[in-house]
Amino acid sequence: MTRLVEVPAQFDDRSFDQFASAFAQAAKDGERLLFDAHAAEWASPYGLVGLLAAGQAARGAGGGSAGGAERPLLTAPTHAEVLTYWTRAGFFREAAELFEIHGKVPRVKAADESDVLLPVTPVRAAEDVHAVVSNIQQRASAILASELGLDPKATMGFAMALSEACQNIVEHAGTGGWVAVQAYHWRRKLAKRVVVIAVADAGVGFRHSLEPTQSKRFGTRWGDAAALEAALIQGVSRFRDPGRGQGLAGIRRYLARWNGKIAIRSGTARIAIVPQWDDDVPLREGLPAFPGAQVLIIIPEQGSTKR
Amino acid sequence: MIQHIDVHAVLQESVSGIYTDLVTRPTGRVVRECIERAMATAAAAEVAVARIDFTGVGCIDYSCADEIVAKLLRSLSGVLVLMGISDGHREAIEPVLAGHRLAVLIEQPDGSLEALGAPDAAAALLDDLVARRLAARMPGGTLALTLA
Repeated sequence: MTRLVEVPAQFDDRSFDQFASAFAQAAKDGERLLFDAHAAEWASPYGLVGLLAAGQAARGAGGGSAGGAERPLLTAPTHAEVLTYWTRAGFFREAAELFEIHGKVPRVKAADESDVLLPVTPVRAAEDVHAVVSNIQQRASAILASELGLDPKATMGFAMALSEACQNIVEHAGTGGWVAVQAYHWRRKLAKRVVVIAVADAGVGFRHSLEPTQSKRFGTRWGDAAALEAALIQGVSRFRDPGRGQGLAGIRRYLARWNGKIAIRSGTARIAIVPQWDDDVPLREGLPAFPGAQVLIIIPEQGSTKR
Repeated sequence: MIQHIDVHAVLQESVSGIYTDLVTRPTGRVVRECIERAMATAAAAEVAVARIDFTGVGCIDYSCADEIVAKLLRSLSGVLVLMGISDGHREAIEPVLAGHRLAVLIEQPDGSLEALGAPDAAAALLDDLVARRLAARMPGGTLALTLA
């Protein structure tokens, strides 16, 4: 029997919990999953990498482990523009390994130009992070400086933040994941240009990663929310090396300087550093369970960002 | 005597001949170990200062700043001087060292020295350098290494 997981028509960080809820419901009995994206009208980079993480998790669970049972199914969007964008964003190149795809996928290359600064890119090892950082510096510099009004020096900080976000997968997930970077006009909140970094994996998540070193300290409070708080706010790491935990702290510093936002979802919780221009909730608990970790970083065009 | 170590060359030889960025912990670890081996070899030759040259290095992330600069400072007894440091490199190195309450010497293209990192450690580092006569005040008031 196949269980249906509906992909929201507008698939981004706001609708992700709706998707996670459908995924958790459908995946609980280990049946094969069908991810239905035929009605999708738009997906943010966060939605695209999140969908890949769901496919990764479905393969590892009901769909069988790699090389084992059937892959989950995915019906591609039917809107031609949506389909073309998902292809240009590099989604189907990665999805082909995870899903049995139904629907006609156009033969267009992943973007070499335009607003897709980094197409959906797999991150499995340190070598992949090198490739991501190298590519982004070549492509992002002009957009960050000319369109977002960031100091040209900020490009390197952007690459550092991206590197650290990707390294979380390599060092903590216990599996591979994906990253995507895109610039777009964000009408919803700012009516400004933004650059968005989205990173997702279906690995062990923050709670599992930090449990051996942190759970005693938190006692009965220990859980997904406490783990996220420990990692993002307190800068703790699962490693006892005193230099660890620099990555997320560095990202926070960079975002504070450029009035940016970070949100991390892991397990049943989501934490965010919320800038003045946004009305997100700093900490949410009791969300539908979703494996691994999903990171969203938003850097707005500089100038007035008051709502 | 001053030992000169070209980090870009170390990166190209030890990790990747393609990439110029110092990113990820594993990369930082490999590069630091190469530097430590080079320093150990030179130790017998009475090297007083190790000049670590970052010219040609693109991005340094916080992990590599910690893995290379902070760990070298903690493990070495000699004087460490960084050169070829860009504003972007500073952005990674300074907060990492401040977090460890450490400081490192930066040599500018004109030869003048400054200390980067935790303010207390930076002041102590410069005082120590002068006391050991490894650096002296120049006519403009800046410090420069006394060794060639």
